[in-house]
Amino acid sequence: MKKIKYTAKIKRYNPETKESYWQDFEVEVEDSLTVLELLMHIKDKIDASLTFRAFCRSAICGSCAMIINGRAGLACKIQAKDKIKNGVIKIEPLHHLPVVKDLVVDQEPAFEKFKKVKPYLVPDPKVVPDNNKVESLVLPEEFARYDKQTDCILCMACYGQCNALEGDEKYLGPFQLTKVFRFIMDTRDGMDVEERIKLAEDHGIWECVQCQMCLAACPKGVKPGDDILELRRIAKDIGEENIATRRAKFWFATVFETGQIDKWHLPEVAFGDEKGKAVTKKLEEEFRSRGMKEDEFGPKPFPGIEKFRNFIKKLEKEL
Amino acid sequence: MKKIGIYPGCCFQGADIHNYDITTDFLNRMGVEGILLDRAACCGGGVIDETNKKIVYGLNARNIALAEEKGVDLYTPCNTCYMIIAKTKLALDSDPGLKEKINEILAEEGLEYKGTAKIYHTLNLIRDFIGMDTYKSKIQRKFEGVKVAPYYGCHVLTPNEVALDDPENPTVLQEILKPLGVEVVEGYQNEQTCCGYHARFTDPEQKERLAVKPLEGAKEAGADVVATPCPLCHKAMDGYEEPILQVTQLINVACGATPKDAFWDLNKTEVKISFS
Repeated sequence: MKKIKYTAKIKRYNPETKESYWQDFEVEVEDSLTVLELLMHIKDKIDASLTFRAFCRSAICGSCAMIINGRAGLACKIQAKDKIKNGVIKIEPLHHLPVVKDLVVDQEPAFEKFKKVKPYLVPDPKVVPDNNKVESLVLPEEFARYDKQTDCILCMACYGQCNALEGDEKYLGPFQLTKVFRFIMDTRDGMDVEERIKLAEDHGIWECVQCQMCLAACPKGVKPGDDILELRRIAKDIGEENIATRRAKFWFATVFETGQIDKWHLPEVAFGDEKGKAVTKKLEEEFRSRGMKEDEFGPKPFPGIEKFRNFIKKLEKEL
Repeated sequence: MKKIGIYPGCCFQGADIHNYDITTDFLNRMGVEGILLDRAACCGGGVIDETNKKIVYGLNARNIALAEEKGVDLYTPCNTCYMIIAKTKLALDSDPGLKEKINEILAEEGLEYKGTAKIYHTLNLIRDFIGMDTYKSKIQRKFEGVKVAPYYGCHVLTPNEVALDDPENPTVLQEILKPLGVEVVEGYQNEQTCCGYHARFTDPEQKERLAVKPLEGAKEAGADVVATPCPLCHKAMDGYEEPILQVTQLINVACGATPKDAFWDLNKTEVKISFS
């Protein structure tokens, strides 16, 4: 087996001295090691005090999520040799969670938020039989609506790399919101959609910045960012009125009308108050000061817009 | 002369209309003829999904088909348009059934999505379409001693399948900045933190909290200006203490434009850097 030499740059934290620092470990190891095996090698041969959390080694228990070269993932699923950049692989604990020691984080704050969204089935008595002799049937096409979301292994890779948490530490988190979507889609769930959405809104769906980091982080291909868009759609469709739903409705309406979002009137419509009107007014002043004429302020339908509108209608109906 | 299809997203509209001039000036200076895809529509902006996510595939299949109709590749300077259009291309190229269904509907407008057009953003346009040597040959003056902090923005590096460079160790923006004679400031605090633009109309306070973070990191690292390829990041991050410009605004000036021609004067936070 081929051996390779490189540096493992690991972020360490000593809870006794409260000291946090980067430490370089020079290794010469087989090129077939996973990042987890690399950590085990270091612990075994170089520094027994190196601490990390791991269990199954098969990307299913979700224990070993960490940040490798700035990107969250499971140490056991990632080949170390693919991650060597200029002779170095950088490993640090997940962000947004308190570090217990070295690469081990305290998952409890994220689990507390998870509990807040009631991440369990509340059986609908109209659907779920009241005895265990009869099966509660879910058809394949019904299950398909949330099949992917059930692949979540609660590893917290998405949480450890979430930009919305960078802005608000109280933000619920990506996997928590995926779970809300998963239960709303479940035909056996009896909790009111309104109630589930309400749980997802408190420091939740509207704070997401759609940066797509959670999609990149998930070792199972779950797409929390996309689920959040679906939750927003559901919130809008059940009649929620706020800046975001007004923006979404206006966005679609103006794209349908002209092919483009009307960013001139967007503030006025989305904010829906005097403040929004003032923003739109200010935009108008800016346009005029730059010598623009009123017909340049917003989008105009392009030639053949009728065909475009028919296209959208057909997409809605047939796709 | 090489030709490229310019995709007009919302960043070319209203208060951002100068971005179109910046883009066409940039292409001219690079010796590329830009062809406006004039019937193109909004990419969806991650917002149309909140009405119906399937429409987004159709919209962007149509946008790409408009480029293919003209026999050109598609270029957008916007990170978000790039990500959404590139995602659509991946979805259509890997799902013949979806492609066929959309093409049936597109046929009524006389359009067809073939999958032949490539999707470009400023960063891979310079690297792969214009070529680094040609790019360097167009630079006439340099920003000697000016410290510039590169800020990629999210959607050219995430999700992984549409990343136009190694998302863990991106270098393309630095490689584009270096020939401008600048000192590239790397590894500053929060260089990968999102600008928050897409929360502007869902939770404006969230946007405010985020936008300032990379700027503060760049300032602390001694940067004179932050350079981003993305017009949305620019819009979100302009107006704080540390100035930010689009990388094309720097390139145009390095290639001979005046700062005013490159619309530096529209910045809320004034850019005070010198060039030779």
